[in-house]
Amino acid sequence: MLFLNKDNFQRDVFLGLLAWLILIIFYFIFPDPGIHDIIQKVFILGLFAMSLNILIGYLGLIAFGHAAFFASGAYTLGLFLQSDFVLNLASFSIPVAMLLAVLVSSILAALIGVICIRLKDIYFSFLTLAFQMLIYSIILALVNITGGDQGLMGGFPKPPFLGIDLGKPFDFYAFTIFISIITIVLLRQIIESPFGYGLRMIRDNSERPAALGFSNQKHKLIAFIIAGSIAGLAGSLQALLDVGAYPEWAFWSKSAEPLFMILLGGMHSFLGPLMGALIFEILNDFVTANTRYYGLVLGLVILCFVLGLKKGLLDWILIKFNRK
Amino acid sequence: MLKLDKLSKSFGGILATDNVSLELKPNSINAVIGPNGAGKTTLFNLITGKISLDKGQIFIGNKNITNLTESEITHLGVARAFQITNIFPTLSVKDSIKVALLAKQHGLNNMWNRFKTHSINNEAESIAKLSGLTKSYDTISSELSHGDQKLLDIALALALKPKVLLLDEPTAGMGPEERWKMIDRIQKLWKKTKMTVLFIEHDMDIVFDTAQNIYVLQQGSIIAEGTPKEIKNNKKVIEAYLGGGKK
Repeated sequence: MLFLNKDNFQRDVFLGLLAWLILIIFYFIFPDPGIHDIIQKVFILGLFAMSLNILIGYLGLIAFGHAAFFASGAYTLGLFLQSDFVLNLASFSIPVAMLLAVLVSSILAALIGVICIRLKDIYFSFLTLAFQMLIYSIILALVNITGGDQGLMGGFPKPPFLGIDLGKPFDFYAFTIFISIITIVLLRQIIESPFGYGLRMIRDNSERPAALGFSNQKHKLIAFIIAGSIAGLAGSLQALLDVGAYPEWAFWSKSAEPLFMILLGGMHSFLGPLMGALIFEILNDFVTANTRYYGLVLGLVILCFVLGLKKGLLDWILIKFNRK
Repeated sequence: MLKLDKLSKSFGGILATDNVSLELKPNSINAVIGPNGAGKTTLFNLITGKISLDKGQIFIGNKNITNLTESEITHLGVARAFQITNIFPTLSVKDSIKVALLAKQHGLNNMWNRFKTHSINNEAESIAKLSGLTKSYDTISSELSHGDQKLLDIALALALKPKVLLLDEPTAGMGPEERWKMIDRIQKLWKKTKMTVLFIEHDMDIVFDTAQNIYVLQQGSIIAEGTPKEIKNNKKVIEAYLGGGKK
């Protein structure tokens, strides 16, 4: 198939839709709800991890407060669906709520990013962490709005739109994966565009671009905003899945999860973090079913990857495959 | 083409650049020599706006570029290659040159095209050819030989189509044979592109063979300038730099 050899946007859209169709067929071949649940979560968390990898893998900035945007997306969606607007908008409320979640997360990312990107290395990491904990504290403090440490209480309605009823398991499964895949295809376009190579350039050598007449700061800020928006989208999907939002989603340990996924799957291959999310979720499911010592097992697995493969699984596979 | 008017810069009481004035003719090739710590690289940093001036003015043609930012000065036609190779380790030669070309054209904000199939490919190829990097065009930069990394550093500067090219020790860390190859390449470049070139070099044979005009720096100030012949016979220079074998 000559068409598939061309690395362009059309091919990615085709492959994305193909993957979606295969996963839809998969749904009917394996009717176990447990498996469906894992696949949905892999895409939601994979989206979260891939958004973080824009910063880590392509820009070389270790952001440690990425969950702030995940949480802002989740809370924005939840709070909007709890408000009276839902009644007015009726069937459009979920799409509007998701757009708002992305918008609010991107504005938050712009505000936090404009300050953080001035710093490098560990200072950047710690400042992003500090902002995240600020968001966490705000969520806990505004008990009247956010429900404080209980999380968003009382749930929210999920009115059907365009014939999609997210209350039904199949609709939710197909919708979540569809949105995730579209986002991944768009993200790939950005990563493979001149803009994406600008990110790699800054990662490789942050001094030289100025001597090429290029300003790093604007580029870094745009990347930070894109990463924050996609994390917000992932958060909004998670909120739809759980019909709620919880302050733990803004806690620092939530920022460590996508980091683990990136380490497990690989930061140098585009789909590495998604594969990391798959490993993470399977481990989560398998290990928690058999032992209480989940953290210990996860730690050992990460050690094996870091010391054994010295890279994420997909990175390792791709290098192995290319050498043959 | 490039005119420096009484530049001064001090770092914590030490005068690194002391009242330096010079004027490069269009399409000339010129060298800066001087012992270690004479302020040669500092002078380049001042010209390119990497560090700010204390006093003095800089002109490109008739345009005053004093106190402009590094990026602005680059867009006005001054490009440099660095003493310690300053490249993009994980990008291939091809991708590095393309990135440099796009940086100059403000093309790196584009999110809707694919970088790999971007129409800039032909231009990148001709710059690689000009720099002698055709053979290693698809090699990852960190896997290049030292000499080719130096060439890539120069190629990145060439991608900016500069009027003035500053080369900071283009032959640093090379053996004698490699040095001459490099300087040959630079001479060819200079003849083809009609740029104004200013280079820093330690090898006196190369300097006397290549430069039309030589500036001798010592402790931040120019103690002599002239053609190779004039410099060879200048007493001050012999005393300060060429003679005695002092370093």
